[in-house]
Amino acid sequence: MRIPYVTGSGRALWVTFRNFFRRRVTEGIRPQESREKRYKASFALVHNDKGEEACIGCDLCAKICPSAVITVTSAGKRVSPVDGKKRGYCEDFTLDLQACIYCELCVQVCPTDAIVMLRVQEEPGYSREDLVLTMDKLYANGREKPLYWGKGSLLMEMQDPKRSRLSPPEPAEGAS
Amino acid sequence: MSSPLHEQMPWHRRAPGTERGSRRPDPHLDLGKYDPEADLMALNMGPQHPSTHGVFRVKMFLDGEVIIKAVPYPGYLHRGVEKLCEKLTYIQLTPIVDKHDYVAPMTNEQAINVAIEELVGVEVPRRARWLRTILAEMQRIASHLLWLGTFTLDIGGTIGGGASVMMYTFRERELILDCFEALTGGRFHYNTHTVGGNRHDVPSGWDAMVKRAMRTIGARLSEYEAECSDNEIFLMRTRNVGIIDQYLAMELGLTGPNLRASGVDHDLRRDEPFHAYDEIDVGVAVARSGDCYARYQVRMAEIKESVRLVNLLIDGIPTGPIAALRGAKSPIAIKAKSGQVYSAIETPRGELGTYIIGGGDQKGAAAYRLKIRPPSLHAVAALPYALVGHTISDVVTILGSLDPIMGEVDR
Repeated sequence: MRIPYVTGSGRALWVTFRNFFRRRVTEGIRPQESREKRYKASFALVHNDKGEEACIGCDLCAKICPSAVITVTSAGKRVSPVDGKKRGYCEDFTLDLQACIYCELCVQVCPTDAIVMLRVQEEPGYSREDLVLTMDKLYANGREKPLYWGKGSLLMEMQDPKRSRLSPPEPAEGAS
Repeated sequence: MSSPLHEQMPWHRRAPGTERGSRRPDPHLDLGKYDPEADLMALNMGPQHPSTHGVFRVKMFLDGEVIIKAVPYPGYLHRGVEKLCEKLTYIQLTPIVDKHDYVAPMTNEQAINVAIEELVGVEVPRRARWLRTILAEMQRIASHLLWLGTFTLDIGGTIGGGASVMMYTFRERELILDCFEALTGGRFHYNTHTVGGNRHDVPSGWDAMVKRAMRTIGARLSEYEAECSDNEIFLMRTRNVGIIDQYLAMELGLTGPNLRASGVDHDLRRDEPFHAYDEIDVGVAVARSGDCYARYQVRMAEIKESVRLVNLLIDGIPTGPIAALRGAKSPIAIKAKSGQVYSAIETPRGELGTYIIGGGDQKGAAAYRLKIRPPSLHAVAALPYALVGHTISDVVTILGSLDPIMGEVDR
């Protein structure tokens, strides 16, 4: 039997009652560790395996950036003191997070896997300068903060049209 | 002939009782000739009204409490995206177009990339097409869930207690955003498509994650229906409110759920298949009455259908590469010296078309002109017809049921 208003209200309240016992999802901020592995936030510059700065100042990331937030000043080519090969160096690198849209294109184009993203969010600052990542801040991020899963060569390999195997490069965290 | 929007459309696919020129309000009503004894009042709703789904203004002329004329004023969220798209190259466009329909960014990316691929002449690999289909269907579920939540909030919550449906739908939408985050790393602005394919391959365990999300959402749809369809107050507020008849819907260029709720059986997923839709059967939900309740019914049926499609597709992702071209190392990697193309895909809101004339800046790596045809703009254009004759309390119901996204209307 259906009583107008009463039956509908009863069913709706029953739904609310059931949700009362379900797991709550809005308790606090989700911890950074439980984020997915591909979660991308702020940026970092890394050193290569020989301990040298990986950025060669090639300006590719500045060229592809849709928001034009990256400024690269090249220091020209010179002989590396580590392995004696001639390579480029970067004199100054600035990334302005105020206009960054986190599109990951700069990571994709990097030929030396120098710029990568972080799995932790950038901290808010009290002035606009706090959000401008200078070269020192970027290298400090690379040393201290957890990097995310990707880098330029990995993203390029994933998009390779000759790749035919079905091999997931990285497992998704939290998928189990 | 296949499209119901065609002039020669056979009659049997049109709903009965909607003759051309049936009772229809005049959007250009001359108020000087209106009854001089009437108690007229002009009322502005917006541009910062929270129920207008963005920054939007409707100027309404009231006779007592009944609307006799309504004039929508979009344009408060204009960001010059089309002009920006002429400056940026094709590779750089994908993260930019994420922003115009900020409730369904995934389908925006697909729309622009499908158009560029047609202009350049790139064949997308089968695996990428399947992946795009899955992502489009998941985005449709997420977008409709957000619509359902905000719509029930617009009409004053439901009996279950204030904004309960909104809380539930946002909770379920979060499951889909988690899946997107596992795939692309972004929760809202993904940049996962590129010209010729996708940028991110599926991580292991992603299909199980998607299936779990689909199972949860599919099981909880009956709860939303218990809160809405079984609720007399919800029915009173939506039935016979904001009726858009079939001819009006076609003349205004409504697409998507708004058009199908008016009884026109038109869905680009079935009629002009893109992605991998030609390999699967898509069930198209059509309602006849054209009122707010019909639009609710169509969207609920589409969520169910999308859940079915995602479950169907996720098991059969073919192997192979996910992109037809090597990943772009430079912004001018994709070039089109000339040519023009219009291509459209079915987004959660309807037909999102992109019109590109090639051969712009940087030796053809940017578009000479790029025009976006947003479905929401046409939905807003229905307001002068749909609002007339209703009271003020129905305005947010009608506006909410049309599901316009102002970022897309103004671009």
